[in-house]
Amino acid sequence: MPQKYEYTVNEVPPIPHLLVLSFQHVMLMFISIGFPIMLANQMNASIEFTASLITLSMIACGFGSIIQSVGIPYIGSKYLCPNLVGPSYFSLSLSAVWIGGIPLMRGMLILAGLIEMFLAPVIQKLKNIFPTYVVGLVVSMVGVSVIQASVSSFFGLQFKGDAINSLDVVMGMFTLLTMVFCNIWGKGFVRMYCLLIGMLIGWIATALIIPEYRIDSVLLQGKPLFALPRLLSGIWDIKIDMKMVIPFIVIAISSTLKTFGNLIAAQRISVPDQKELDFKPIREGLMADGIATAASGLIGAMAVDTSSSNIGLAGSTKVVSRWLSVGAGGIFIVLAFLPRLAMILSLIPKPVLGAAIIYTGCFMIIAGLQEMFVEQWNIRRTFVIGISLFFGLSTAFLPGLYARAPQFIQSFFTDPLPTATIIAVVLHQVVNLDKLFKGKQKPGIG
Amino acid sequence: MKHLYIGILAVLMALSACSNSRDGLDLTAYNYNDTKNLVRFVHNAAQKIEKDGLAATEEYKSPKGINKDFNLYVYDMKGINLFHAGTPEVQNKNLRNITDIAGKRVIDLVFEALSNPENPHGWVHYTWWEPGKFYPVPKSSCHFKVRMPDGREVFVGSGINYPLEESEFARIAVDSAVNLITAKGSAALPVIENATSSYNFREVKVFAFRPDGRIVISPILGDSLVSTNLLSCVDEAGTKPFEHALKQFGKQTAVWQIFMAKSRYERQLVKKTLYLRKTMLNDEPLFVGAVTDLPQTP
Repeated sequence: MPQKYEYTVNEVPPIPHLLVLSFQHVMLMFISIGFPIMLANQMNASIEFTASLITLSMIACGFGSIIQSVGIPYIGSKYLCPNLVGPSYFSLSLSAVWIGGIPLMRGMLILAGLIEMFLAPVIQKLKNIFPTYVVGLVVSMVGVSVIQASVSSFFGLQFKGDAINSLDVVMGMFTLLTMVFCNIWGKGFVRMYCLLIGMLIGWIATALIIPEYRIDSVLLQGKPLFALPRLLSGIWDIKIDMKMVIPFIVIAISSTLKTFGNLIAAQRISVPDQKELDFKPIREGLMADGIATAASGLIGAMAVDTSSSNIGLAGSTKVVSRWLSVGAGGIFIVLAFLPRLAMILSLIPKPVLGAAIIYTGCFMIIAGLQEMFVEQWNIRRTFVIGISLFFGLSTAFLPGLYARAPQFIQSFFTDPLPTATIIAVVLHQVVNLDKLFKGKQKPGIG
Repeated sequence: MKHLYIGILAVLMALSACSNSRDGLDLTAYNYNDTKNLVRFVHNAAQKIEKDGLAATEEYKSPKGINKDFNLYVYDMKGINLFHAGTPEVQNKNLRNITDIAGKRVIDLVFEALSNPENPHGWVHYTWWEPGKFYPVPKSSCHFKVRMPDGREVFVGSGINYPLEESEFARIAVDSAVNLITAKGSAALPVIENATSSYNFREVKVFAFRPDGRIVISPILGDSLVSTNLLSCVDEAGTKPFEHALKQFGKQTAVWQIFMAKSRYERQLVKKTLYLRKTMLNDEPLFVGAVTDLPQTP
């Protein structure tokens, strides 16, 4: 069924709409600002260091969002696909900082970015092994991959194992239902801005009911309205450690696959009438992602990644204009120079953020499932999808199991999205071997 | 559109004007909700008991207690239990001599905590059990001393079962050990080393070493099997946390040093932290420290 869009992928909304719609995406992107704060905290870094790391990471996110969508030749998918600080690189970045300081993190992220850029044309060669139902699986797994972050935020959880306060759950539910009701029964602006409306109402209600979520003026003290960022190490101060190369390659591959999934989802949401995957924008999107990762390393920021939640938001609002990604990137860069405002936005209550990501994740999961079952089903697909889901989801259900697995298995069983993708692609070939030998049908078409 | 802009601006202004002060308690040292909730619970109960005496304990009685997670108790300063929400059988008994499974004299540790300026919320760590159960449970309890309207001094407390390790707990143990060494010199060392003292709980163990890395109190074994120089010890990432920490002492009087450790349950290395203080013993510098967990992301 043809979808009715408020703004299509290449349409430029009027400036006031463009700004507010972009800001709606910015609100969602702010969840990732917790990562530079957490990295700085775990390093016991100074306030100045923390502020610079946040600023530089926001600039990298903004830059990544812009080059992904603005339309530079050979670079960028030209879909609505903003960037945020990538959680996949967090743990390894911290290890790099601890072993060799910011210069080592810079060096390793540049390397990871180069690997992603190298993989971009390689992945295009795989176009024959991604039938529609596997693409559907990938899109739904993009939604599944945000479950951990969204649900833990929804419950207001900051640290593993901590107590959950009932009021956090109530406020998360209130925010989620506000967004859902605005989307179901709202019209025009209310529907278009349902996430922004839900987040603002949820934020006010949470701050009124739970005192911990009120903005403490002490936190804003010493935060200037305007400040220029400072590099965290010398411009040529870049290190590579051979011990860290393999782990960074593994994460770069996993991150590329994740971005691959996000770009497929973005394509499906932006151009739903297109029957087969168009690999050109996906290749160029992967190239942009690699450049953004390398650039984040170059300036000493944390690694950036494409955002699944923002793609889900585009699907929910029927506003898929890529200029929103450019606008959100621009706003993120401007906010990087306005520390006080950025600090206020980084204090959005966790249950509100969690509700927003659950809301957007719903659209990803369902869009993927719909795509999976659009063609006639058969027993081969049952095994391809079933087995992929078993092992893909097991990485989330049983992380402790993989901690003790052999290194080879650990490298490929990292996260539901890349794991399910790899297994589905391989199994699709395996269960269609007979067709290949009989020459009746290529497995890719299956 | 105009209304939406005004709305967004109003929200940001309204939220900026708010403040998060709550009941005058400073809980910024704690990471976990569990810990903050317990301190608030005991503090509120202590304020009520200070105002209304033991009559205020009525609302804390199990099973109708106002917080089912925590069992409130009240003792006088001789160690006689005046109220226990979880184990009413102990009421009016003197529990001064009671010890936990490791031999810790729990009530004495509470008195020590209440008189320790480094321990503003009177934390004590020991092993207990859940009423009706039969196995040991690690516990951290916080306490406040109050004077009731009838003039009697009592302490009010409650604990968390299976507590998450707050870095503040390690800070209290190390800072208190430094104060003890400053006051008593070498005589403080056996007290700190004693497994039943407040300086050792769960996996946290206060240790001490000289600037050249020689161990004075071992962080691992009571008697070192092989000679170890802490400065040359490496973490799982191959770096030397002690050497790194000592370099920072020129600028700071206390150092929190992150290092990497293995975990059976985690795919990647986990972060731990080392808290160190510098003091003097027998006219020689001495570093006193402890290792504890860092909060992990969910």
